[in-house]
Amino acid sequence: MLGTDEFIPLARAQVAAQGLPGLPIVTVPHPIGGIPAGAAAAKAGPIVESVLRALTSDPAAAVHAASAAAGDVEAPDDLDHFQAWLMERGWGDGLPAIPPTRERVAAMLAGARRRPHEVAALLVPRLGRATVEAIAANAVMAGALPEHLPVVLAAVEAVADPSFNLQAVQTTTHPCSPLCIVNGPIAGRLGMNAAGNVFGQGTRANAAIGRALRLTLQNVGGARPGKEDRATHGQPGKYAYCIAENEGASPWEPLSVERGFTEGDSTVTVCGSEGPHNINDHGSTTPEGIVTTVAGTAAITGSNNIYLGGEPLIVLGPEHAATAASSGWSKEDFKRAVWDRARVPLARLAPENIERFATIYPEGFRDRPPETPAPIARDWRDVMVIVAGGAGKHSVFIPTFGSTRSVTRRIAD
Amino acid sequence: MRIVDPMGSSAVSAKSLAARPRSLEGVTIALLDNSKPNAGVLLERVGALLAARSGARAVRAWGKPGASTGAAPAVIEEIAAVARVALTASAD
Repeated sequence: MLGTDEFIPLARAQVAAQGLPGLPIVTVPHPIGGIPAGAAAAKAGPIVESVLRALTSDPAAAVHAASAAAGDVEAPDDLDHFQAWLMERGWGDGLPAIPPTRERVAAMLAGARRRPHEVAALLVPRLGRATVEAIAANAVMAGALPEHLPVVLAAVEAVADPSFNLQAVQTTTHPCSPLCIVNGPIAGRLGMNAAGNVFGQGTRANAAIGRALRLTLQNVGGARPGKEDRATHGQPGKYAYCIAENEGASPWEPLSVERGFTEGDSTVTVCGSEGPHNINDHGSTTPEGIVTTVAGTAAITGSNNIYLGGEPLIVLGPEHAATAASSGWSKEDFKRAVWDRARVPLARLAPENIERFATIYPEGFRDRPPETPAPIARDWRDVMVIVAGGAGKHSVFIPTFGSTRSVTRRIAD
Repeated sequence: MRIVDPMGSSAVSAKSLAARPRSLEGVTIALLDNSKPNAGVLLERVGALLAARSGARAVRAWGKPGASTGAAPAVIEEIAAVARVALTASAD
């Protein structure tokens, strides 16, 4: 395998996850992309000898770590020492964590009627077994309560659905992280925030459920920041990114009902999302006005959704949602209108970028005149719309990684 | 204190690597482009230099549907059937 020196930890994780840790990797100086083709080709000469050697010498027999069942680990008793120890092992996220002692994990497990050693999902890139117990240990560390566990379990199962493309979401340079959107009665029972400051701090269930999923993905899934997790910047949602839909303030059906569930069902939907970007509109009093502002914010040149497709998300504040529905518009009407208006003329894109997009999505970008408008999603149905937030004339736009589909799972509560 | 291991166990099963040829003379070299920008450029240049140096019979390239998706199983099978050695890429 050829790789760049910056990406060696990911390449090693990749071959290890294939059960081939001895596969030779030859590196060139980073980067390969975003430089002239001649400069990339010039990196070939200095490595040819190493490649030839790797292809013609039997690789050293790899030493495989036994895939033993996870056991208990001896940790420092002192809480301050424990925090430092946790970070040294690469198991923390930088914030203090609760030690997942047997007693605390047992109490957490009581929150879900699941057997502790049942495997809820296999999480890549490490191909870690996300047993109910391992998820519960991370939930303890995150400060979650036992009643939060069913939501975390459903979210872990959702991100492992093949259509979510977890391998890419975990390891990409893009700043995506799974956004959890909770629908149904469980949100109220857990005291989840769906209203003011919904993406912000201040609510234990939102914070702890989001953090429990993140710690599970890092520890069981093996996506360690700066190692297998190759995010160029990341984003604050990589600590915790979990909201509830404000169903009571929505003029439309909730996301869960759109996805075929009933209003009595509790669900979690995961999206491979960027951070939220604000949409300020204090002036509009008509649906068309809201659409104009939302579409103008969503039509951006640097979004993955422009060329990879996927499902960009619009989170309407309740006041914008009321205005958007004021002429009897359905959620479908609103999605269609935004999709129709949110276009990026090709003239706004860099020529080299158009060339690249054309190889990835020829139907949208090959041999097109500069005035051709590129939509923000392949189809209007791919534009996701929910209602969340409190009083005020704001909404948010959340692009995604693109090559990922949102997944909704029922929460066993 | 004792804590529960937050990593759990891994489901990776060890596989063995194929034995390597002593030389690449007369061998077909496969290139699997990971479809990142310029990956094909680098792989093809390495392939050409390898062929010139080692007397390989041919260099053939295959692709993936996208940078974040794996190669189709049929592509992997074809590479295994046609080529003696294969080079692929990871990273940007």
